[in-house]
Amino acid sequence: MRNIRTFAAIDVGSYELAMKVFEFNGKGNMRQIDCLKHKIDLGTDTYAAGKISYERVDELCQVLREFVRIMKSYKVENYRAYGTSAIRETENTAIILDQIEQRTGIRIEVLSNSEQRFLHYKSIASRGENFNRIIEKGTAIVDIGGGSIQVSLFDKDSLVATQNMKLGVLRLREQLHHLNVKPVKEEELISEIVNAQLSVFKKLYLKDRQIQNIIVVDDYLSAWVKKKSVEGEDSFSVADVAAYEALMKMLRTKSKAQMASVLGMPDEKAQLLFISAVLMKCAIKVMQAEMIWAPGVTLCDGIAYDYAQKNRMITSCHDFEQDIIACARNISKRYMGSKRRGDTLEAITLIIYDSMRKIHGLSKRERLLLRIAAFLHDCGKYISMVDLAECSYQIIMATEIIGLSHKEREIIANVVKFNHSEFVYYHELQSKSIDRQAYLVMAKLTAILRVANGLDRSHKEKFTDIRAAVKDNTLTITVDTQEDITLEKGLFDNRAAFFEEVFSVRPVIKQKRSF
Amino acid sequence: MGEKTIDFRSKQYYTNREMSWLLFNKRVLGEARDKQIPLFERLKFLSITASNLDEFFMIRVASLKDMVDAGYKKTDIAGMTPKEQLVALNTAIHDLVNLQYSTYTRSLMPQLKQNGLTVISRHEDLNKEEKNYLDRYFAENVYPVLTPMAVDSSRPFPLIRNKSLNIGALVTKKGGKAELEFATVQVPSVLQRIVPLPVKEGVRKVILLEEVIERNIEKLFLNYDIVCAHPFRIMRNADLTIEEDEAADLLKEVEKQLKKRQWGQAIRLEAEAGIDKRLLKMIVKELSVEPEEIYTIDGPLDLTFLMKMYGMPGFEHLKAPAFEPQPVPEFPQGCDIFEEIRKGDILLHHPYQTFTPVVDFIRNASCDPQVLAIKQTLYRVSGNSPIIAALAQAAENGKQVSVLVELKARFDEENNIVWAKMLEKAGCHVIYGLVGLKTHSKITLVVRREEDGIRRYVHLGTGNYNDATAKLYTDIGMFTCAEAIGEDATAVFNMLSGYSEPESWNSLSLAPLWLKERFLYLIGRERDAAEEGKAAHIVAKMNSLCDPDIIAALYEAAAAGAKIQLIVRGICCLKTGIPGVSENISVRSIVGNFLEHSRIYFFENGGNPEIYCSSADWMPRNLERRVEILFPVEEPALKKRLWHILDMELKDTLKAHVMLPDGSYEKVDLRGKQKLNSQELFCEEAVASAQKTEQEEEGNRRVFIPETHVEV
Repeated sequence: MRNIRTFAAIDVGSYELAMKVFEFNGKGNMRQIDCLKHKIDLGTDTYAAGKISYERVDELCQVLREFVRIMKSYKVENYRAYGTSAIRETENTAIILDQIEQRTGIRIEVLSNSEQRFLHYKSIASRGENFNRIIEKGTAIVDIGGGSIQVSLFDKDSLVATQNMKLGVLRLREQLHHLNVKPVKEEELISEIVNAQLSVFKKLYLKDRQIQNIIVVDDYLSAWVKKKSVEGEDSFSVADVAAYEALMKMLRTKSKAQMASVLGMPDEKAQLLFISAVLMKCAIKVMQAEMIWAPGVTLCDGIAYDYAQKNRMITSCHDFEQDIIACARNISKRYMGSKRRGDTLEAITLIIYDSMRKIHGLSKRERLLLRIAAFLHDCGKYISMVDLAECSYQIIMATEIIGLSHKEREIIANVVKFNHSEFVYYHELQSKSIDRQAYLVMAKLTAILRVANGLDRSHKEKFTDIRAAVKDNTLTITVDTQEDITLEKGLFDNRAAFFEEVFSVRPVIKQKRSF
Repeated sequence: MGEKTIDFRSKQYYTNREMSWLLFNKRVLGEARDKQIPLFERLKFLSITASNLDEFFMIRVASLKDMVDAGYKKTDIAGMTPKEQLVALNTAIHDLVNLQYSTYTRSLMPQLKQNGLTVISRHEDLNKEEKNYLDRYFAENVYPVLTPMAVDSSRPFPLIRNKSLNIGALVTKKGGKAELEFATVQVPSVLQRIVPLPVKEGVRKVILLEEVIERNIEKLFLNYDIVCAHPFRIMRNADLTIEEDEAADLLKEVEKQLKKRQWGQAIRLEAEAGIDKRLLKMIVKELSVEPEEIYTIDGPLDLTFLMKMYGMPGFEHLKAPAFEPQPVPEFPQGCDIFEEIRKGDILLHHPYQTFTPVVDFIRNASCDPQVLAIKQTLYRVSGNSPIIAALAQAAENGKQVSVLVELKARFDEENNIVWAKMLEKAGCHVIYGLVGLKTHSKITLVVRREEDGIRRYVHLGTGNYNDATAKLYTDIGMFTCAEAIGEDATAVFNMLSGYSEPESWNSLSLAPLWLKERFLYLIGRERDAAEEGKAAHIVAKMNSLCDPDIIAALYEAAAAGAKIQLIVRGICCLKTGIPGVSENISVRSIVGNFLEHSRIYFFENGGNPEIYCSSADWMPRNLERRVEILFPVEEPALKKRLWHILDMELKDTLKAHVMLPDGSYEKVDLRGKQKLNSQELFCEEAVASAQKTEQEEEGNRRVFIPETHVEV
């Protein structure tokens, strides 16, 4: 009878603990019914001491227990709790998380920066129609956090690039404080710091891209845009550049206390608003944007949207997987990867992957990882054609791919590495984040990529039509080509051995010549 | 434009708040002196002036004295130092007290006698039979509960309790030297102050308890000779300031402070006129009372007993007929309250309309299976409150119940602690106020899980959730399930539980966050409109007006040409009729049978009027140190009703007192005007509207209902 589902999203942030309670009505609608925020400075503990103090954990547990009580009162059926940088960067993450779970029953999962930003991004996309309309034109998302900012670019409605810069408002405030700057000098100084990084970003990513819209995600400017926006009933508030300049003018002339009063925010927030505003001013200038949009969303919105989407409670109107792939392709392009080769390899790996579904037992998500590994399989050659394995590994480990967790990225880096070099077994593997399960995924994907890569050894894309089928412990890969495949066949055995080791299935190549 | 600029904050434009308060009490006293009013109602008004004055002493005078003692010299809104204020108050209070007692002895007592009730003021005036009766009464009922105390070298001066009535006596030891000693006995508060004498020939006579004791005082001090005996009463400093930042446990702190209260410094001594000089001197010395703090009273001390006299059976013809709060047409009998609220916002006007729907709202919520949570702020709760019982029941029924109990509600702390503990026991989540802020807002939130998801029902009010005072105080309440207000209400309770402020508010404005700014903005908007030559009009009804920022803004708006009509029952520090400043402002105060308590604010807004209700007055303490809520009333029909309330009060010619430019108040000059008592009118209207629905229901019942089953 009733199709209403309730869900709670908890964000254990560096400076705030937040919970939002949502209702999904089964018709694709998501409605926020409560929002609780508690200020708690975990960040300072982690960043300064490396560990979260006992008192803070205690406070955290107390509030979480309170959250549990509230969840019960709304009869919440499920929840997700995510920790961000303060939890991620503390030395004793595992111990603290266990403690919290024992004491409150709340299981906190840790998000890597790229996952966190991806959820932010999902929260924006959760605003549906408007979002799709905005990104039809060149759009950048500027996600301003405490420690860093994340700038993501769209090209024809899919996300193509994303870059993290250590320009968070709290970090900048810290720097200003350290430099002991006079208020009148603040803007100049912030601009200087910010522009230095933004100009690099421009060179790397912007080139001649047209960016008309900036979508801002933050706690300060959004409030202003929302106020500014006429009849803010729409899910996106908007302000144009002229209005923005007027804001800047006001910020320059008014004291922080006056600003706070005009904008209706606490005094302490006013300074952060100022920093946020200067940051945005620089971004607008670099991108020559015309409109500033503020969806006014938070991580909690993204968590809920992500949950609802995964549980098929809402159908999204945006293909997020496509964003991840577009990003990966772009990385490949940056390192001079051939698009055609990437596509061929992707096609072959997927054919094998799909035919082996019953045997490898992996999901759609691993399929995505494999696709990305295929695009990036030889990115290291940009640095060294000899030391391909290690260089590829290093590039992938150093490049953020939005939407992927650190662990997933490490899986991809390893798959690419072992595609070229000797496989390293679990007990010899020296990695903090690769656990048993991740290791098995890694081994399986490596086996598939190796075989697929073996089929395309000469890089001539000789195979136009490939089919694969498993029968009686044999994977028969039928290739339809007129070309000579001696090279492929010769290299294949070596690769097939590892495949057989992993799956107990022997791959064989069959050439079919159709005329 | 070449005009000289006016400093709207100039102290000469403001009235001292204490003096203004005394004027209010004088207006109440005016009711006691009004011959148009039934005699027993006049007794009640006189009693109210007495209890008002007691509270005024304990809070305001006490705190002024504290300031003087602390050497605090900062001037008030009108430029007076604490010392100057005390001096001015002293004269004014003495005048007021004289007026109280001349009202009592010259006007009320003779009239009572005419109407068959004699108050014997001196026991010496009793006849023999009566004397015998009273002596027996003393022996049987009074003597057992008395605790006489004598002072000598081995026994220190006893504690004289705050506000208690005592009989002080000078005594000498029998057979000893003629050395005068002090003795005292408290007139027990557990016994009725008014002692009725046996009725004879239809004449009712009463005497006050202290006279009975005084008459028998030698029975208390058997070893002494009584030289003289006179009643006296003291008032102590009771401004309870809780050091919240230091108090680890607020609850304990309040309990501690309560015990301490009796020990405060004496700040007023009332003594019977004609008290023996030696006795007075002794009391004055022991309690360190200053000469100007002594009030010699020509009549019974502590006139609050008149309230009890009002309650004496009989004499109904000398009282105003009791008004029964009327049913609310929007909530027909047996209706589903939630369903009715879903049909649209519902406005309640107490005490003309009954408070029952509010109690039912919580009661129904407590046992409604669809209700998930109930959240409420409680400030002053009546004894045996049905609301408390319903909340406890809800918690027992597994609802999530959060209650903010304000422990700092003046004089009610003891009461509140009891409820709070009881609720906690029942499983409610009880928040004991906020550090540094008093929670004065009146809001209830019921979260209900319905077919189409969570729906929130909110009740907002201008008065406390107190079913007893809701019969005496005029207040506005509104039920709504509007999403915007529901969201804000949730945010309010989250904030009261210690969570951060939401990014934005939909409809509600909250003190101490943005309420003052909001009011200043609304007043400023009228000023701007006036400057642009558009119609600009403010009508504001409240209990007290003494916030300097608000007053300055009102002056500014008025000077710009906005029409400002204020209905301020109590303190008003604003002055009317100042040339170039407040000629466009009128102030009236309505003092009637019901205590005017609602706060309604109307703003013209360029022809698109906005009307708000609030728990807050325009006082700094409301706007800066309390949690208060301002809510808009948006449905046209409800706006019309609120406007009608304001309009009728502005047209009231019987109970309204109008402020004159010299700061004094005068009743409306009736010449050429229709007689209108707004409170009476609202009573009639409430009756009419309730009857109309009743008739409609009756009418509906006259539809033929075919019998479907015939019993044989």
